[in-house]
Amino acid sequence: MESETPLLDELEKGRWPSFVKEIKRAAKKNKAALDLLRVEELSYKDKITHWKHGGIVGVTGYGGGVIGRYCDKPEEYPEVAAFHTFRVNHPAGWFYKTEALRKICDIWEKYGSGMTNFHGSTGDIILLGAKTENLQPCFNELTEAGFDLGGSGSGLRTISGCVGPARCEWATIDTLDITYDLTMEFQDEIHRPRWPYKFKIKISGCPNDCVAAIARADFTIIGTWRDSIRIDQEAVREYVKNGFDIETVVRKCPTEAISWDEKNKVLNFVPEDCTRCMHCINKMPKAIRPGTEGGATILVGGKAPILKGAYLSWVIVPFMKMEPPYSEVKSLLRKIWDWWDEHGRTRERLAELIERLSFARFLKDMGLPVQPQMVFRPRSNPYVFFRR
Amino acid sequence: MGEVSEELKQKILEYLKTVSKAKNRDIARALNEDKHLVDKAIGELSKEGKIEYIFLGTSFVKIKE
Repeated sequence: MESETPLLDELEKGRWPSFVKEIKRAAKKNKAALDLLRVEELSYKDKITHWKHGGIVGVTGYGGGVIGRYCDKPEEYPEVAAFHTFRVNHPAGWFYKTEALRKICDIWEKYGSGMTNFHGSTGDIILLGAKTENLQPCFNELTEAGFDLGGSGSGLRTISGCVGPARCEWATIDTLDITYDLTMEFQDEIHRPRWPYKFKIKISGCPNDCVAAIARADFTIIGTWRDSIRIDQEAVREYVKNGFDIETVVRKCPTEAISWDEKNKVLNFVPEDCTRCMHCINKMPKAIRPGTEGGATILVGGKAPILKGAYLSWVIVPFMKMEPPYSEVKSLLRKIWDWWDEHGRTRERLAELIERLSFARFLKDMGLPVQPQMVFRPRSNPYVFFRR
Repeated sequence: MGEVSEELKQKILEYLKTVSKAKNRDIARALNEDKHLVDKAIGELSKEGKIEYIFLGTSFVKIKE
């Protein structure tokens, strides 16, 4: 029998897993998935989307967390006339018990299309495709199962952080606790969007920045240390003895803070020159470790290109202790939000507002002292590709 | 942030009776009160079922009917 979706079928022929294959599997037990395939095929054929993103949908008391999605051909594809997305607030570090996953899946098979996306780019659990009348009952059951909705629209987006100390020896801050604590503190800001535009907070446990917080968050918290890296000279010698090219570390230290004394077999280090780039630590993890006095560097302004171009975050606080109840960071966040809400235009991200009113004005209004680490937009384009 | 007083909550309710809807920021400005305290008070009033949130592009609050 001839396939109903010849264009989509092409996407199953590549080397990688295909979403088409998965939707086809879902279509065996869900009519919405079947209609979704058909409407997608039509979109490919017509070369225009048949989806409308947006519109007012929601659940009682929440302005965020459900994204309205409608098909422009409801008569032809009734099962996907409304195909709303739930954003469910993920647990810090994305750790689940299988019991929790089963609960989510059971609820989603009952009220939605059964299709999920673990996890969306913001980090949330994404449940794809619910009818309007199913939104409230689905939300009610999710709540009873212990899940809350995440952020969407012009409000605080679901806060996310790396797995931190749970699985990584480099974390200098407890990213899991900070993520959880800030989420609890700012639930209202997640649930009720009332700012000029979206605001993202992401937390990385060390400068390796595995969650790419620097590129993706308006407010970035990156673990660092205030004292010196720890060098085990015996372990360094062991690396060298085993044929490790120590020059790959020395040569690539961006501030020339380290040098190799070949004669005495000692790795010299100038702590005040170190920018904590982690390169030497990553190359010689058995010999070099972060310092012991942990805290975080706070940055602002990361964003993708929407109104203006893409920005990478830049430093506003070089070092901040990060201990519960995290009062200092919470107070700074509130100050920033008030300022942005007061001066920001509709759909103007924090970085764009700072650019419009000036970085000096921002620092002055925040009461932050000017420091050498504050390089305004150190590199504006994160989409840099190096040729081999 | 300080504790929310009953007096502040009452002032917010009185203000909301004079408008169809309002943003938190505008309420704080109209009452000349700290915005964060007003946010907190509005959260409590919502839990008490006295006001409700509405979303018209952005969040507003109004007296619950």
